[in-house]
Amino acid sequence: MAFIVTSEFNGDTALMNLTGSLDASSASALSAEVNKAVVAKCQRLVLQVSSLDYMASAGLRVILFAKQKMGSQTDIYVVGAQETIKDTLERSGFDQAVIIMDSYDPAQV
Amino acid sequence: MDVLTVPGNLDSLDIIGKYMVETATRVGLDKKAAYTLRLAVDEIATNIALYGYERAGLAGMITIRTAITDDTLTVTLEDTAIAYDPRNTPAPDLDLPLDMRPIGGLGVFLAIEGVDEFNYERVDNRNRNIFVMKRPSRVTV
Repeated sequence: MAFIVTSEFNGDTALMNLTGSLDASSASALSAEVNKAVVAKCQRLVLQVSSLDYMASAGLRVILFAKQKMGSQTDIYVVGAQETIKDTLERSGFDQAVIIMDSYDPAQV
Repeated sequence: MDVLTVPGNLDSLDIIGKYMVETATRVGLDKKAAYTLRLAVDEIATNIALYGYERAGLAGMITIRTAITDDTLTVTLEDTAIAYDPRNTPAPDLDLPLDMRPIGGLGVFLAIEGVDEFNYERVDNRNRNIFVMKRPSRVTV
């Protein structure tokens, strides 16, 4: 399934909606969006992934890239992940470095 | 035995993914096992395409064979890329903070750790990456 990413930049927050299959052939589309967040000096990256069916390590590498380029103080939220994707985040130790949430409410973070 | 042959490049990942989920579901793996098998095959196919072929200036195919027994589903990827045994990839240090992590090694780690058995063989100048998943025992009524 094709991968689609749409972004909104609000102040220091970059909100990205991910749909489809994030693998090595589609990860560059997400990196390009993360680069925009770097340029905009965003301090918070919210990845809405409830419509994401699949994420390979290429997706993890984009998260790693975001953390390294946006700065280690950047909060990265992974919102609405399916169990299989949560499992990948946990197995790779990424659950320690990102904030996994079922739903994202800007008023609560 | 089913056989699927695709070009050894990243454009093939989508078709490989669909094929793996379809095969895994057909032999009765649950959603989680089907997903981790797809992930494992996808990660190794990615490395074959990027490092085995492209970075080495080579082009070639990836052949995927699936064999089913009562107890197991075995998937074999065969390619003519440079020799590489994924079992020799150093494991990533999962305890390092994310911003200190080296990039790389994660895909192979997820692949090998996600299947019930992983093997590698080098036969006739070909790489063979072999993934084995246990099938759930059949319920007899």
